[in-house]
Amino acid sequence: MSRLRKLEVNKTEDEFIEFVLDDDSVSSAEPIRADVEPAVPAFIGTLEPSATLDEMPPVFRELALPKLPQLAHTARARLLMQTPNRLFFYWSLGSNPFQRLNRALGAHTASYTLVLRLLDLKRDSEEIHPVEAEGSWWFHVDADGEYRAEIGFYAPNLPFVRAVYSNTVQTPRKNPSTRVATEADWNVTSDEFARVLEVAGFSEDAFDVAIAGDDAESAETTTRDAFSDLVDEDVDTDGISPEDLRHAMLLLAAGHALESLRWKISPALYELMQKYAERLSTERAAAILRERYDIESEEITEEEELGATVYGLSSINFPRRLRTRRKSPKLRPISSPTGSGRN
Amino acid sequence: MPTGYFSLILHAHLPFVRHPEYPEFLEEDWLFEAITEVYLPLIFIFQNLYEAGAVPRMAINVSPPLCEMLSDELLQTRYTRHLENLLELAEKEVRRTASESMEFQDVANMYAENLRASLGLWNDRYKRNLVGAFRELQDEGVLEIITCGATHGFLPLISTPEARRAQIEVAVANYRKHFGRQPRGIWLPECAYEPGVEELLKSAGIEYFIADTHAILYGDPRPRYGVHAPVICPNGTAVFARDVETSEQVWSSVIGYPGSDVYREFYRDIGWDLPIDYLRPHLHADGNRRHLGLKYHRITGRDVPQHGKAPYVPALAREKAAENASHFIGERIKQAHVLRETFDGRPPLVVSPYDAELFGHWWYEGPQFIDYFFRKLHFDQSDIAAVTPGDFLDSGLPIQRQQPIASSWGEAGFYKVWLNEKNSWMYPYQHDAERRMSELVARFGDTETRRHADTENVGDTIPVSRRILNQLARELLLAESSDWAFQIYQGTTVEYSSRRFQSHIHRFDLLTKMLESGEVDEELLSEIERRDNIFSEIDYSVYASKE
Repeated sequence: MSRLRKLEVNKTEDEFIEFVLDDDSVSSAEPIRADVEPAVPAFIGTLEPSATLDEMPPVFRELALPKLPQLAHTARARLLMQTPNRLFFYWSLGSNPFQRLNRALGAHTASYTLVLRLLDLKRDSEEIHPVEAEGSWWFHVDADGEYRAEIGFYAPNLPFVRAVYSNTVQTPRKNPSTRVATEADWNVTSDEFARVLEVAGFSEDAFDVAIAGDDAESAETTTRDAFSDLVDEDVDTDGISPEDLRHAMLLLAAGHALESLRWKISPALYELMQKYAERLSTERAAAILRERYDIESEEITEEEELGATVYGLSSINFPRRLRTRRKSPKLRPISSPTGSGRN
Repeated sequence: MPTGYFSLILHAHLPFVRHPEYPEFLEEDWLFEAITEVYLPLIFIFQNLYEAGAVPRMAINVSPPLCEMLSDELLQTRYTRHLENLLELAEKEVRRTASESMEFQDVANMYAENLRASLGLWNDRYKRNLVGAFRELQDEGVLEIITCGATHGFLPLISTPEARRAQIEVAVANYRKHFGRQPRGIWLPECAYEPGVEELLKSAGIEYFIADTHAILYGDPRPRYGVHAPVICPNGTAVFARDVETSEQVWSSVIGYPGSDVYREFYRDIGWDLPIDYLRPHLHADGNRRHLGLKYHRITGRDVPQHGKAPYVPALAREKAAENASHFIGERIKQAHVLRETFDGRPPLVVSPYDAELFGHWWYEGPQFIDYFFRKLHFDQSDIAAVTPGDFLDSGLPIQRQQPIASSWGEAGFYKVWLNEKNSWMYPYQHDAERRMSELVARFGDTETRRHADTENVGDTIPVSRRILNQLARELLLAESSDWAFQIYQGTTVEYSSRRFQSHIHRFDLLTKMLESGEVDEELLSEIERRDNIFSEIDYSVYASKE
């Protein structure tokens, strides 16, 4: 059984208190030495398909009704990635966490609530939800991020008391890297890479790489400015990737309603766009694309999802596609000398 | 130098299904159907192509559970009975269709001839040893056989480094047992990758793995040749990724070849069409209808209902398979020219991975397609050269260094199929068993004793603690099979898959209690060993912590 050994207070970073569990449930034991016959087991027999439990030998009966065991009452916390935008977390605190808190904090315990805390380690933010001592949770998160989940005690204006914490999960990108190899043999311009993506069947990414061009910094500035144009306000989009912003604008221009973007863009961007929902429209997005990227609305027709439907039982991933009439090599990169930033 | 290279990679895998506790078992038919429709035809075709000088240079993963089942005497005996029973039915059908249903006479004859040939191949040519037949093809320089996870465990969802390592090292040991050499490559189960997996592979001596398209396309830095050249991870392990265009042409249910009107309709089977009394001698003892593998209709049209399907005409289907193979090669030549131009003259590599069971089981004419494809590739053109990933690495072409991203080949490209609201309940149990396994090895394992027993006491009694630890390792590995979570998500055989997962966790728990209490139920231990007899060579010490 685990027991509380000590309470540590860490004030160097984010102020919190941590329980350190001392698990004494594992004890050494003598290996079993009773030698028995032999590795080749004796033939026991087969059952009639219609055999009832009562008709089975005890060993067969034991195996006929498999039961999941009661999981040991130990502290556990595991964070798993499902997709770049979704994480699964399960946890258990083992023993009554409030007893432990009470022993540690005494009178202060009453103001605390048991919570789950998801830390976005890359963007330095967190979300908190009240929970039970055991359970599971699904999180909607951002791609290209780093996350850790914790269970602990929260009280306003008091240090967070951490009881258990999970492994760290890194969510992958959902689009091509912006980094180019420095070695001459592998160096590739945006235009060349857009063609590479196009011939690989990733036409939507090709389109985005082509319009972003080779100057990532300039492309990012232009994209953030374009988005501010879209919502008609200088809006802070730090923490949202330029690829995500362009993707959202292209989808809007292609005729998608805001609601349908919910699972296609990051939660942060979706939340931001919801705030400006009344200002968003297909026409407005198309006008921004025309002005900023010289893309006519008729060049973007629809997003085609080929889907995962295949023969047999498998379900294989095929890339998303944005149909365009214009081939990516003809696209003018937004970072080209003629590209304009927001004034 | 050819315009481009083409690498066909087949993934032959079925979960370990073996039920000696019953005289027959419905889910064992998965293996039997695949032997008849996929493995026997493919081996036969590969051998014939080799003898005709058109070597089908390609890679195939014969997964460890599949190797173990194909080598299992009980399953071999049961398959023989299954095949003889099916042949008996097919011959009865030749007589019945001659008098009652002449429109099906050709197809009935086809099945009877094919099954007679299969029985001959099985008993006489391959002596019931298909792993041996695959091994011979590799030894002759025809195939490059690669390995897989020991039980097709989904590596990114396995919680401990020891349990991940066990999936790789047990697979490599099993490959050595069956194929007598070290595997060069691995098919990562479900092509599921996350950064760090390559370290396990390198430790096990594996040179390359197969991944999905975006593993490389979204990798860092940008891949100069996209998915049409391998990359090398920072630790030196090579990665070959899936080409989307060839996947769609063969596999898509919307535009793929298998949807041709003249090909055999999978879902119309005499097991459901003919009178139950007529079929009863060929059904399982429960007398329930099931797919028997004799299917008399063609697809006819995408929107044609099952009752409106036209009779299957083998000659027309064969002709279409040849036509599709020609088309596929023509498209590969065009693709190679476009890619080579895009790549400033560098010859591209198109990697085409598929489930082996697509060819023959789901797409009945698939083996014929492969046969025509390699014949035409060899005799009719010189633009495309068939290579294995190992051949490509040996070619000396420079390869870009890159860090691939986490990915899988499943729906939506990540881990959703194996982790979702339907199957997430499995992971706390799986992870708990993974944690406990390493703890039990640390507490009860005795490497010195084990080594001593292996080298000097062969034939003597084996310490029961070692038997239990080895069986714990088998139960954990079997619980980790990605097949269970996959089938629960897909809604196919949900009850069986849930039960299998629960059974292995339950057995793991029973064995743990024996080990911890010292009270060994020999009868129960023997029965568990008898049922889950995969990996006779297993060594539990693979779960020992290296930290």
